[in-house]
Amino acid sequence: MTTTATKLTPEVKAVIGATSEFTEAGWGVVNKESLRRFTQAIMDPDPRYWDADFAKTTRYGEVIAPHLAGSGGGRAAWQDVDPVSLTFRENPVADGLREAPGRRRGGLPSIPTDLVRVLNAGNEIEMYKHPVIGDRLYSQSKYASIIERVGRDGAHMLIITTETYHWNQRGELCYINRGSSFQR
Amino acid sequence: MTTRTADELRNKTQMYYEDVSEGQMLPTYVLGPMTPTHVFRWSAAIENWHRIHYDQDFAIYHEGLPNILVNGSWKQSIMPGYLKDLCLPDGWMWKVSFQHRAMIVPGDTLTCWAKVTSKYVKEGMGFIELETGMKTQDDIETCPGTGTIVLPLKGGRAIPYPFVPPKS
Repeated sequence: MTTTATKLTPEVKAVIGATSEFTEAGWGVVNKESLRRFTQAIMDPDPRYWDADFAKTTRYGEVIAPHLAGSGGGRAAWQDVDPVSLTFRENPVADGLREAPGRRRGGLPSIPTDLVRVLNAGNEIEMYKHPVIGDRLYSQSKYASIIERVGRDGAHMLIITTETYHWNQRGELCYINRGSSFQR
Repeated sequence: MTTRTADELRNKTQMYYEDVSEGQMLPTYVLGPMTPTHVFRWSAAIENWHRIHYDQDFAIYHEGLPNILVNGSWKQSIMPGYLKDLCLPDGWMWKVSFQHRAMIVPGDTLTCWAKVTSKYVKEGMGFIELETGMKTQDDIETCPGTGTIVLPLKGGRAIPYPFVPPKS
C-alpha cells in the first residue's frame, strides 16, 4: 500500500540527535568461543584470530578479534522469559528482528513510525584498534540523521543513520560505525 | 586471489606504498557459492533472528523477496576483512564505506575488488584511496563503496598501532 503522507513527521524529527547511554556492547567480554564462531562465519582463517604463538610474533603481540566482532550483533540479555518464545507468542508473524524483547539495540529510542520493514542500507566504518580476548566493549549511539525518500512506487521510506562509537574497557577507541537502514 | 588460507595470511609479504599506482586493480577475493547454511551460520553467530535470513517462506511470501537474503551485516565484516588482508602484515585498514545495493541470495558467488583512485603520503605514512565493491557471478555490483588503507613506505616509519590518523 502506498501513501502520499510524509513519514518524516515532527515526532520522527524529534528523535534526530537522540543519544544513548554509554552501554556495554554486543558480547560483553570478548571470548575465544564467540571469536571462533564469528571468524568462521566470515570465512576468515587469519591465524591472528586464533593462533596465540603466531600472534605473539605479529605487531599485535596477542590474538586479536575483527573490529566488529564482539560489539556487533543482537545478543539478548539474561531475562526471566525466553525472548524468542515471547516474541512469537505476542505476534505469530513477527519478523524476528524489531520485536524481540530484551534485544540490545544500543539503547536508542524507537522510531515513532508505522513503517515496519527494515533493510540494511550501508555503512561507513573507521578502524583504530582491534578488540582482544578478555576485552569488555562499550558503545554509545546517536541518531545522526533521518531523511525521507519516495520510491518508484510512490511509497515513502525513511533512511535512518546511526553513529556508534565503540571503546574497550580502557577507553581506547576501537572503531566508529555509521550505519544506515531503510525503514519502509 | 581466491579464498585465502591461514598459511597464506601467516606468510603474506607486505605491499608497500611504492608498489601501487593510480588506476591499479588490487588482488580480488572470491567467496562462494553462498548457501543457506552460510547465511544461517552468520545469523546464529551474531544472534540476528531476522527471519528474512533463514525462513524462506517468510522471506518470499510475507516479505516479497526472491529468497532468503545474505545479511548486510555479514558484508559489513567481509569488506573490512578483504581490505585488512591487502594490508597485512603491517599496514592498516583505516576506512571503509559501502552501500547495500543489490540483494545477495544463496547460489551467488561473490568477488570483492578494489581499484586505486589516488595515493599520497602524510606524516611518513602511505595513504591509498580505493574504489571498492562486491560483484556477483553475473557482474552485478552489490556493494559499491570506497576505502582508505595505510601502507608503509619502503624504509619508512612503522604504521602506528593503535592507528593514529594524521593531524590534517
